[in-house]
Amino acid sequence: MSLLAVTRLEWRRLLVRPLAWVLAALTLAWLAWNFTLLLGGFLAGQIQNAARPDGPGFTDLVGVPLLGQLAQLAFLVVPLLTMSTIAGDRRNGTLPLLFAAGVPASRIVLGKYLAVLGWLLLWLLLTLAMPLALAHTTHIDWGKLTAATLGLVLMLAALAALGVACSSFASHPAIAAAAALILALALWGVNLGAQMAGINGGAINWLAMSTHLQPLLRGLVSSTDIVWFVLLIVLALALATRRLGTDRERG
Amino acid sequence: MTLPTAVSTGPTLRLDQLSRRRAGRPAVQNLSLTLSPGQVLGLLGVNGAGKSTTLSMIAGALRPDSGSIQLNGADFLEQPELARQLIGWLPERAPLWPELTVSEHLDAHGQLRGLHGAALKQACAAIIERLELQPLARRLAGVLSQGQRQRLGLACALLHKPALLVLDEPANALDPVQVAALRTLIREQAAAGTAVILSTHLLAEVTAVCDRVAILHEGTLRHDGAVRSDDHAALERTFFEIAMNGHTHTARAA
Repeated sequence: MSLLAVTRLEWRRLLVRPLAWVLAALTLAWLAWNFTLLLGGFLAGQIQNAARPDGPGFTDLVGVPLLGQLAQLAFLVVPLLTMSTIAGDRRNGTLPLLFAAGVPASRIVLGKYLAVLGWLLLWLLLTLAMPLALAHTTHIDWGKLTAATLGLVLMLAALAALGVACSSFASHPAIAAAAALILALALWGVNLGAQMAGINGGAINWLAMSTHLQPLLRGLVSSTDIVWFVLLIVLALALATRRLGTDRERG
Repeated sequence: MTLPTAVSTGPTLRLDQLSRRRAGRPAVQNLSLTLSPGQVLGLLGVNGAGKSTTLSMIAGALRPDSGSIQLNGADFLEQPELARQLIGWLPERAPLWPELTVSEHLDAHGQLRGLHGAALKQACAAIIERLELQPLARRLAGVLSQGQRQRLGLACALLHKPALLVLDEPANALDPVQVAALRTLIREQAAAGTAVILSTHLLAEVTAVCDRVAILHEGTLRHDGAVRSDDHAALERTFFEIAMNGHTHTARAA
């Protein structure tokens, strides 16, 4: 029950902060504008594409690119959303209140993580509603869209875990946001140098987030990619829990 | 798991050889104390004597390096979840979430302490009425004055009817009327069987409200005895003797 109490508390804090609403409004407006542009492009090329037997459809030209744009925005949105989760409590002096309520560090971390994840999934759902609103008038490749959505869910979950971990180590929310942004970008492009040198395999490519998200956006679901995201989430949350445990020890 | 309740017959709190280092120096050393239900213990000491560290350990916010804490006979360090139901804590400066309202704070604290549904609503309504928080119920904690923050912190600590109330400088920033109301509230809690431990700088606070006083100096317990409300001068003498002798020792050592 203490997990639910922490999640509710964090969710409430998230909803009353203007930042979450401003981020939601601005990004959804941006995504809606891009959706109309993508849709316009799709409608303009519809006759040409229809003539090709394996031509790209609505999902390839509108649905997946829209999710790709959400993925780009997530690099900025998630650190801003997670920065105060633990660093804010540390700054307010409210972290000891949670410890004193007998809530273990793991539940504090998980509770806060679930609240942020809930917001992010709602954000993804509202974005998905745009292409889905046209489901009855066009043909949607459900398999491809589901795979891309799964990729986005995993990516958002991984970035949120990374953000919460950075927040647990930082003394100030702004430092947590900057650290989460830098780490996420580094994780995305860790293999860029290797790729420029013509190396397309190996451990360095496996480490990069792009290696695991792109196949999912193309509709290819592989257990390796899912495991990579799950490992990142578990590692980040374990680090955050450990850091919080140390906080309790140190005081 | 069944938690020990407030009806336990032994002492509510038992500290045994409690020690804790902070910032590389011993903040609390070998502290042993017991506190019975309905007793009010005043923890006195100069700044840095170890009062807040002691209270943080009792509240479960800080782990001791060694020693044991028993709550109603159960080992608190082995079962930190005991804090959830048995302890109410008002930390120094009453930390709050600035973006939440007064009633949202009470809801959150109630849920963290295991209250839900009708029981939570009832507890919130009762404490809001008791501490006269109705006019502030919808106000954001971030805009409250220090005295109002203190009252909200106290409400959060009392919400779940704890067996042990831990108050760190509860009279901070309260006006004389509020101080009098606080004293009445503490005596009420004690009469209902709640054990209360409070830290303060004010000797008058101790003589007015406490049954017992413990004086800490440089992390060690230097005095533990009953308080006589008519003998403020004796307490003052003891306190200054301990405080001044301690300073003399430190100066000689340096």
